Amino acid sequence: MPVTLRLKRTPTVPLEAEVLSPDVMSGLSNDEIRSLTIYHGKRQLPISEFFDVEGERSEDVVIHGAMQKVRWIGRGMSKGSITVHGTVGMHLGAYMTGGRIEVHGNASDWIGAEMKNGLIHVHGNAGGQIGAAYRGALAGMKNGTIIIDGSAGLEVGMRMRRGTIVIGGPVRDFAGLQMKGGTIILLSGAEIRTGAWMKRGTIISLKPVQLMPTFAFANEMNPAFINICAKYLSQFGVCLPFSASDGTYRMYRGDLSVPGKGEIMIWQPI
Amino acid sequence: MLRITGGKVYDPANGIDGQIKDLCVDDHGRFVQSVDGGRTIDATGMIVFPGGVDVHTHVAGGAINFARAMMPEDHRRTQAFIRTKSRRSGLGGMAPTTFATGYLYAGMGWTTVNEAAVPVLSARHTHEELADIPILDKASLTLMANNEIMLDQMAKGEFERARQVVAWYLWAAKSYGIKAVNPGGVAAWKYGHDAKQLTSPIDGYGHLTPGTIVTHLAQICEELGLPHPMHLHCNNLGAPGNISTTIDTLKHLEGRRAHIAHSQYHAYGGDGWDTMCSETAELAEYFNTHPNVTTDAGAVLFGDTVTITADGPWQHLLYKLTGRKWGNLDVENETGCGIVPYTYRPSNLVNAVQWSAGLELLLLIRDPWQVFLSTDHPNGGCFWRYPEIIQLLMCADVRQENIKKLPDRIKGKITLPEITREYTLYEIATSMSAGPARALGLTHKGNLGLGCDADIVIYEEDADIVRMFGHPRYVIKGGEIVLEDGEIREAPQGHEFLVKPHCEPDIDAFMRPLFEDCYTMQFDNYPVELERIEHPYLQDCIAAPGR
Amino acid sequence: MQKSKFLPRGRKDRTMVLVDIRETKSANAADIFLQVRPGKDFELITILRALIKDQHVDDERIVETGLTREVVSDLIARMKAAKFGCFFFGMGLSMTRGKHMNSAALLTLAAEMNAFTKFVAMPMRGHGNVTGADVIMRWQTGYPFGISFNRGYPRYNPGEFSTVDVLVRGDCDAAFVIGADPGGTMPQPAIEHLKRIPTIVLDPHITHTSKLARVHITTAPQGIAAPGTAYRMDEIPMPLKPALKSPYPTDEEVVRRINEAIAKKPFWLPDGKRPQILTSQV
Repeated sequence: MPVTLRLKRTPTVPLEAEVLSPDVMSGLSNDEIRSLTIYHGKRQLPISEFFDVEGERSEDVVIHGAMQKVRWIGRGMSKGSITVHGTVGMHLGAYMTGGRIEVHGNASDWIGAEMKNGLIHVHGNAGGQIGAAYRGALAGMKNGTIIIDGSAGLEVGMRMRRGTIVIGGPVRDFAGLQMKGGTIILLSGAEIRTGAWMKRGTIISLKPVQLMPTFAFANEMNPAFINICAKYLSQFGVCLPFSASDGTYRMYRGDLSVPGKGEIMIWQPI
Repeated sequence: MLRITGGKVYDPANGIDGQIKDLCVDDHGRFVQSVDGGRTIDATGMIVFPGGVDVHTHVAGGAINFARAMMPEDHRRTQAFIRTKSRRSGLGGMAPTTFATGYLYAGMGWTTVNEAAVPVLSARHTHEELADIPILDKASLTLMANNEIMLDQMAKGEFERARQVVAWYLWAAKSYGIKAVNPGGVAAWKYGHDAKQLTSPIDGYGHLTPGTIVTHLAQICEELGLPHPMHLHCNNLGAPGNISTTIDTLKHLEGRRAHIAHSQYHAYGGDGWDTMCSETAELAEYFNTHPNVTTDAGAVLFGDTVTITADGPWQHLLYKLTGRKWGNLDVENETGCGIVPYTYRPSNLVNAVQWSAGLELLLLIRDPWQVFLSTDHPNGGCFWRYPEIIQLLMCADVRQENIKKLPDRIKGKITLPEITREYTLYEIATSMSAGPARALGLTHKGNLGLGCDADIVIYEEDADIVRMFGHPRYVIKGGEIVLEDGEIREAPQGHEFLVKPHCEPDIDAFMRPLFEDCYTMQFDNYPVELERIEHPYLQDCIAAPGR
Repeated sequence: MQKSKFLPRGRKDRTMVLVDIRETKSANAADIFLQVRPGKDFELITILRALIKDQHVDDERIVETGLTREVVSDLIARMKAAKFGCFFFGMGLSMTRGKHMNSAALLTLAAEMNAFTKFVAMPMRGHGNVTGADVIMRWQTGYPFGISFNRGYPRYNPGEFSTVDVLVRGDCDAAFVIGADPGGTMPQPAIEHLKRIPTIVLDPHITHTSKLARVHITTAPQGIAAPGTAYRMDEIPMPLKPALKSPYPTDEEVVRRINEAIAKKPFWLPDGKRPQILTSQV
């Protein structure tokens, strides 16, 4: 039996709710959950001011509501699950080290920022800076999996070091900016400056993307690792082509301005 | 009014070594013989020290402010100070914000700091930041050894004029003394060069050599009667084999007084990174035989920090070596600075030598009145880690444990393993307070004697030295209890110490055309107005005999 | 132009290169004018970063930026041969597509040029004492802008806490505006929000924002009738010496009086309820 929260009052300013995490809530009674502190602007209020709470002592949390102003859900979680029915605000699953977050709705910026492990799946659209480093930090996500079924914004996977990001819909500028490692999969391509200043890592795009002038064509291939990737991602409903009878990947190396050894693989169907 | 009774008092300025005695403070925040009324602190079983004096730190001004901008990720992970009724908000870490700087220093029992590097062009900025550092008293030093106008005069052999120029700048900056950084080197950096040889002419300045600058600037400080002698960051900082530059520099002083900054960075042997070793024995021997010089250790602590220095060329090199972030600021006509975040690691052989060297200097220089506790904050380590150094000085066993973590190849490169000396509380009080106060010429500081400023720190005795010195029970500043039981209670404004050296009546007229020729600012806008200094305190200049 | 000890022929010893998407009047003052295609600054600077490291870039890719290999090679040769180079950059970089990454590109190029010769970069700030606000914010909070104090200590995140984003999303329920005119410069959703919430303006003039504000307080103009310090774009502090008197109070006086009135109200932090610090150390 999960703990279920329903938003009953619309926040007028950002509501910071990092306590909405299995790590905080799993051992608590219903009353204790209701009295956890959330921040409506500068005001410290109990959860019960904004949410109806059912259930207790569970590692599984379900949240309902139009929560575009609710930030930091799942911050730093290491276990359990959070399922959101509705929109959710910034910093979803930031710094997480384990567990699962699933959103049936849209999400905002900084999903999984600097996460160390875990799984985040957003069925709607997302914002920018997915799996990225916060400003000034040298590295973004260090492992884990983030899947966005819809579109995403700027700087997806900026400075990520390891882990996998999959974006189903179109993506804006600077996907894979300053990447250090890991894999970004763009099922609907991206706008400009994809892979800018990459050091290492792999960007796979199923649609043509405009590349930086500092990327050079290397060769055409059907690398084995994509088969493995495809098998892993099929459990999330993600379809990654890899068979030579369907097409090949044109591989580009860069970014030479760094100089980096990143790879961008663009699918070329037959 | 305050009375502190029954504590074990350490007052090296008056030869008091752990004697149980009472201290009394009057309404003006000074020690008196006796006092009626006011509060009494029962310090039975506690240790009483004069408040700490940091003789060389970087806490305010353009350089440290640039560093703050470069490190949002450190700000996010560090200690945050929340806005309360008595305290402003702020952030600690490698480049603490101004309010936090005051709370962090006072939280350790340090009550006076010397901002070691102020470019005159942005002195107004430094003073505005110093005014936002609560509790502490401050002094600041004006950067002069790469000043275009002064260098030109010296290059022409006009040493009298050079002295007048220095006096003019010192008062224009409203500061306390003269700082010389890499003489000639920072000026050469504007061409992308450096000045590593003391006897080689500096690019663009005729026959002028760094050695000449050292000799004459030391002389100028004496002739102007400044309370603190020339504060010198020697040429060739950080380079293997630089011990010879340092000894050469000291010889150029020709017996004059000087304070050598962060000498750890200037005590290396070897001829490359692989052969780099500690030559602190040679440097310590020089200090042990020459009472005219003092130094601060510039000790290194393992861990993250940020290096900030006016030594532009060195910082560019560090950037290339480490591939980390790099910030560079040029201050027209005067100086520059370079900023590189850095991590000292015990597994890194060079860092291991540096860590050992700082401690060796503190232990091999016999007189704690000559060598002072510092990390050249933030370069060697953050100031709020000073208690860790105190522990390493007082506990040889902790030192030995840490030495075990160093790489095996360190054998033969350092002498620290053989050193058994352990600092006593009396020596710690000297090195962290009485000594630096005397070297700075701040006669009312670091001193629990009658008439002196009542800056006091009271510790609870603890076998854990780091905890003891990191968490004083009481801190008193100018007779006010600012910290009690771990909480900042009051945050009064501190004073800023200044000097007004004698200036020739025609110096303005002399400076104006030179200034207008090479500065992009109006001459009349340049000097800092005295009204802008919060609680200024003018210290006397005692002209050297014979002038 | 000033002749100096190191540049005895003054202007003749300096080379000015102007880079812009169209030829402006400044092109007349420049020695070389490079017309870059709109939206190609980031690409051009990245190409330069690669070429100074002797990496290969195809001719066609260079041409896409609006310049030729010849022109770019000449530029690099001149940069490497200079004794002291400086990039000046403004809103044409920082406010066009790419935003902060355009600025980051130029700053990185300047840093990398130091492997060859002395090179620096200087952002050309907007009007008013922008640099002063930046400098003071940094020393008091550690951050230049885009700061939230809702947890009682400074937190920074451009896009989350920067003014235009906060206003467009409607993330604030009151606004206090000093010496700025967001009502005249910001996107419509931001202006609509300013109209909805209590907005207070301090300004010597009646601005666009004043007209939609709840309260407007006229204050004395900085530097003309009010003293203080202004920070030049190279962060040098300049004393402001007012020449005139004004019947209006200074911004400082007004803010102090507001602070005094607030001090009489209950303190923002209820006793014993310290907010949780949101550090990156999870």
